[in-house]
Amino acid sequence: MRNRKRTGWHRVINGLNISAFVVVLFVGLPLYWLIASSFKTASNLGDSPPQYFPNPISVQNYHDAFVTYDFGIYFRNSLIISIVATALVLTVGTMAGYALGRLPMRGKFSLMVTLLIISVFPAIAVVAPLYLLLRDLGWLNSYQGLILVYTAFNLPFAIWILRNYMLGIPKEMEETSRIDGAGPIRTVWTIILPMALPGVFTAGIFCFTACWTEFLFALTFNSANNYRTIPVGIAEFGTVFTVPYGTIFAASVVAVVPIGILVFIFRKFVISGLTSGAVKG
Amino acid sequence: MTTISSAAEEAPVAAPLVGRPDVNRKRMARLGWMFAAPALIIVGAVTIFPIIYSVVISLSNAEVSGNGISLNGFTTSNYSLVLKNSTWHYALAFTIIYTLVTVIVELVLGTLIALVLERLTAGRGAMMALLLIPWSMITVINAELWGYIYQGTYGVADAVLNAVGLGSPNILGQSTSAIIGLMIADIWKTTPFVAIIVLAGLVMLPGDVYEAAEVDGSSGWSTFWRITVPLLRPTLALAVLFRVLQAFGLFDLPYVLTNGGPGTATTSLAILGYNAIFKNLSYGPGAAVATTTALLVLLGCLLSLRTFRVQVGKEGN
Repeated sequence: MRNRKRTGWHRVINGLNISAFVVVLFVGLPLYWLIASSFKTASNLGDSPPQYFPNPISVQNYHDAFVTYDFGIYFRNSLIISIVATALVLTVGTMAGYALGRLPMRGKFSLMVTLLIISVFPAIAVVAPLYLLLRDLGWLNSYQGLILVYTAFNLPFAIWILRNYMLGIPKEMEETSRIDGAGPIRTVWTIILPMALPGVFTAGIFCFTACWTEFLFALTFNSANNYRTIPVGIAEFGTVFTVPYGTIFAASVVAVVPIGILVFIFRKFVISGLTSGAVKG
Repeated sequence: MTTISSAAEEAPVAAPLVGRPDVNRKRMARLGWMFAAPALIIVGAVTIFPIIYSVVISLSNAEVSGNGISLNGFTTSNYSLVLKNSTWHYALAFTIIYTLVTVIVELVLGTLIALVLERLTAGRGAMMALLLIPWSMITVINAELWGYIYQGTYGVADAVLNAVGLGSPNILGQSTSAIIGLMIADIWKTTPFVAIIVLAGLVMLPGDVYEAAEVDGSSGWSTFWRITVPLLRPTLALAVLFRVLQAFGLFDLPYVLTNGGPGTATTSLAILGYNAIFKNLSYGPGAAVATTTALLVLLGCLLSLRTFRVQVGKEGN
């Protein structure tokens, strides 16, 4: 941390409070609008000029999302797919991250760069062949199809994050364990994993968030109502003629809350992941 | 694995461990490949194989029927079709301009926000938490939210523009305003991401340089341009690269907010490719659009690889 003195201290503080307030408004107002609108009645949603505070406050939209529409199904699908894919990514990714971070493999650098390029590859480039592949396997409109695709596309970034954490663990820890007679898998499990746990959390949150928010693959592979995830479900609430904004916003609030809580609890890891992901590659 | 068998396995190797580092190294490398294999196989099968397959489809007279795709021989006609197509020209120009504008605005706004947050003594944690919400939000929800804000008759943007005397333009009904509207929705969602990265970079800057600058009588503005910006450059460069590559694949936001319209005003390369493949079932041209998009992204990556090499090298392999 740097420590510098400032002239015109009071001016800075006043200007600071105003600019911080502007930042809060910039980020907060659209969020407020989302939440406020979810509590408006169907007729008040169409008021012009708009109602700035919902009056009366109605929970009808929440009822509609789950009862009239199938938001419950979408929520369940998103939860299953995101959790299983994240678990797979962490299991397989930790092993790979350990190997690439700590073991003397030839061609490690090229491998890491390849993974990096894959992690930013546009989904549109692979969606058609994957669609044909999953169709041949009979995995369209299934859990396993989307889980496999999400696992593969989130692995590269997870491996990068995990590798960066693995690099920071002192070598002596492993050697001591090896001299004590522990096999490689036990060493990873008992020595490396506990020390790399922050990296595992970080990779886990990123993976979960990515699965929870992904749209193009889910839209293409899981279009049947029973297998839609939240983004696809919300996108398909509307028809050409009417968009049920109340239901959409109620569903949106419910979809934002779990990930919001997760991100809030683990914000330290998210921030470290954002920076290690972007700064270190 | 029982203790006995594990000990038996380890024992013969344990002896040369100390004396012959090359043998040990080889064994560790084999172990490394073993550990990395599951991940590499999954990534290879689900990403690299489809990339190659996509290139193959784009170079063939692909025909799709109920029971699969038939390739029907080699051709480059898909590419000549795409490269001569004015819709593709527009989508390419739109995607590039959209990417440039949003990334530049996000970078400037994100840096400003980071500078504000850095000076904040209280409530920084709460601010960070607030900034993380747009970042973690589903893009489809962002699109629906801004669709409601921009709605022609009862949208709040309409009311605000009316109040300041700008009339009531149908924002999503006209090309220019639809593009600007799309950009604003993107900037709102992604600026916080840039702000957090820049803030992390700011916090890590060495303090003594600033003290020296102050002793030399450098003003705040010139300190910012001559010290902060150059020191932040690696952080900014990589943040920009990631954003550029991400923005280039633009799909979710226009798909839901404008459906590529009005007309084709907000049809990005990804939307064009998607519509060609899944709406018109023209797999060949669609694959050509997808492959050219991927090639452009790859080119961007390779051009920036030197930056990465420096960064990765610093990590100490």
